[in-house]
Amino acid sequence: MSPDVLDGFFQATQYDTIFAVAIGCLIGLIIGMIPGLTISTGIIIVLPLTFVLEPEISIALLLGLYVSGMTGGSFSAILLNIPGTPSATATAIDGNPMAKGGEAGRALGIAITASFVGGLFSFLCLFFISPILADVALQFKSPDLFSLMIFGLTIICSFAAKSLVKGLLAAVIGLAVVTIGQDPMMGTQRFTFGQVNLTAGIHFLTALIGLFAIPQLVDNFADIIKGTDEGNTTKIKSVFPKIADLKQMLLPVAIGSPIGSFLGILPGAGGPIAAFISYDYSKKLSKNPEEYGNGSPQGIAAPESANNAVTGGALIPMMTLGIPGDPVTAILIAALLIHGLVPGPLLFVENGEFAYGVIFSFFWANIFNIIIALVGLRFLVKVLIIPKTLLMPSIAILCVIGSYALRNNFFDVYVMFSFGLLGIIMRWLDMPTVPLLLAMVLGRQIEEYLRVSLIASKNDITIFFTSPFSLFFLCLAAASVFWSFWAEHRSKQEQKQQT
Amino acid sequence: MLLLCAGYAYLTSNLPSRDIQNSTQPSFFPWIIVACMSLLSFALLVQGLLPHFNSEILARSGIPAKRIAIGLVLAIAYMVALPWLGFVAANILLFAGLMYLYGEHRPIWVVIGSIGISVAVFILFREIFQIRLTAGILEGLFR
Repeated sequence: MSPDVLDGFFQATQYDTIFAVAIGCLIGLIIGMIPGLTISTGIIIVLPLTFVLEPEISIALLLGLYVSGMTGGSFSAILLNIPGTPSATATAIDGNPMAKGGEAGRALGIAITASFVGGLFSFLCLFFISPILADVALQFKSPDLFSLMIFGLTIICSFAAKSLVKGLLAAVIGLAVVTIGQDPMMGTQRFTFGQVNLTAGIHFLTALIGLFAIPQLVDNFADIIKGTDEGNTTKIKSVFPKIADLKQMLLPVAIGSPIGSFLGILPGAGGPIAAFISYDYSKKLSKNPEEYGNGSPQGIAAPESANNAVTGGALIPMMTLGIPGDPVTAILIAALLIHGLVPGPLLFVENGEFAYGVIFSFFWANIFNIIIALVGLRFLVKVLIIPKTLLMPSIAILCVIGSYALRNNFFDVYVMFSFGLLGIIMRWLDMPTVPLLLAMVLGRQIEEYLRVSLIASKNDITIFFTSPFSLFFLCLAAASVFWSFWAEHRSKQEQKQQT
Repeated sequence: MLLLCAGYAYLTSNLPSRDIQNSTQPSFFPWIIVACMSLLSFALLVQGLLPHFNSEILARSGIPAKRIAIGLVLAIAYMVALPWLGFVAANILLFAGLMYLYGEHRPIWVVIGSIGISVAVFILFREIFQIRLTAGILEGLFR
C-alpha cells in the first residue's frame, strides 16, 4: 500500500477535518431539503467561507455538503412532493405516497439508508479506480489531453441540452469568455479593452455564481407567485428502517449503486438521469412492479442509492483527469485552484497525501451523512418552514459577498451580475448553462494543449489522429455527437407520431 | 448569435500578432471559436430551434415582467451604490427591496429582517472570516 494512502487517511481523520465534514453534512442536508436551492448554489454560498481555511479542511467541508445535499433533496421530495434537488425527483414518485399514507419516517429512513449504501459503494469505486486511472492518464501527452477535453465537452453537451446545437453553442460561448485576458502561450492581451480588471481574465467562480444563483433567485419568484412555496406539517415518527425494509432494499440498491457510480464518471450525466435509470431498471427487475408509484420502498431505495453514488463517480474524473463530472465538481475544481492545487493525474504524484485525504474525507462524509440525517431529522425538517422572503434575499447578499471576496474587487460583483443576466437569458432561450460552465473550466487548458500540440508537430494536425489515446477520445467525442443527434431526431419523430 | 459572432470576429481580427516561427498566433484559438460559433449559429437558424424571445417565454415562466424589471432596476441601483454605501447599508436596502419583491409586505418584518440579517452576515464575514468588506458610509460604526 502506498504511504500516501495512510497519510491521506490520517489527514482526513484529523479532528478539524472531521469537524469540517460534519458541518458540511449538516449544511448540505439543510440546503438540499430546501426546494429552490440546489447543491451548486449551496456550495457557492459556503465557498467564500472556505477561502480562509486550509485546503484539506475546505474540501472536506464542501464534500460533506455535496454528499448530504443529495440526501437532503429527498426530504422535501418525500414530505412535500417538491424535490429539494433535481436528483431527488424520482424519489418523490414513491416517497410522497408513502408519506401521505402516514409513513413519512419510514420513507425518509429508507432514503437515508439507500443514500448511505450508494455513497459508500461510490467511495470504493473512487478509492480503487482513481489511482489506476491517474496512472493511465500520466501517459497522456498534449494531443491526448486536448482530445480528452473535447470529449468531455461534447458529452456534457449531449446530456445537458435538449438540443445538441444549443449545448455546443453554450460551450463555444464559454470558450470565447475564456479567451478574455492574457494569451496563455505568449502573454498577449486579448479582448481586455484596456481594462486592468480583465487582464487576468474573468474569474471562473464569479461567472459561476452569476450563472447559477441569479437565475435561481428569479425562478423562485415564480414559485412564490404560483403558491408552490408550502411548508411541512407532516409528523415524523421513527426513521430507522426495519429489517423487512432492508431486505426489500437489497435489489434496488444493488442496481442503483453501480448505475450511479458509472453515470457519475460520465461528465454531464449527473444525479437526475442516474436516479431515473435506476428506478426504471429496478421496476423492470422487481417481482412486484405494480407497487411502484404507490409508495414502494424499492421505488425510494433505487433512485436514492443511484443519486448518492453519482457523487463518488463524479469525483473520479475530477481527481484523475481534472474534468468535472457535474457543476458541483466544477466548483470543487475551482476551490482547489484557489488553494493552488491542480486536479489531474499529477495530483496523485505531487500531492498524493492530499488526494487520498480527499477520498477519505468523502468516506467520512457518507458516515456523517447517515448519522446526522438519522439522528437529527426531526429537527432538520423544521428548516422547511423558513420563509423564502428571508431565504432568497440572504442568498442574494451572500452571492455578492462571495464574488467580492475572491479578489476584494467590486468589478467581480459586476461580472457576477452580468453572468446572472446571461444565465437568465440562456434559460429563456432554453440553452443549458452547464456546457458553458464546463467550457470555462477547461477552455484555457484546451487552448494550451491544442497550441502546444501544433507547435510540437510543426502545425501538422494529423498529430491528433496518430496518437492512439487521442484518436480514441476523438472517436468517442464523434460518437457522443452522432448519438445525441440521433436521439434528438428520434424524439422529434415520436412527438410527431403522438400528435 | 450571428451578431455576437461578427463582433467577436471583428475584435479577433484586431488582435496583435507575434513574429515567432512555427508558433500559433494569439488570434489562432479565437478564430477557431469564430468558426464554430458561426457554424452552430447557422445550424440553429436552419433548424429553426431558437424560440421567440418575447413576452410569451416570460409568461410561460410564470413571473410577471414588471417584477423582473423592478428586480433589475434594484440590482443595478445596488451595484452603483455599493462602493459608496458599503456592504452594510447597501445590503440592507437590497435585502428590504428583495423581501418586498418576494411578497413580504409587513414593514416591521422587512425592517427587522433586512437590518438583522445584513448586519449579521457583514459581521460574520468581516470579523470571523476576516474578509475585508468595506462598510462605506457606516465605517465609523464598524471600526
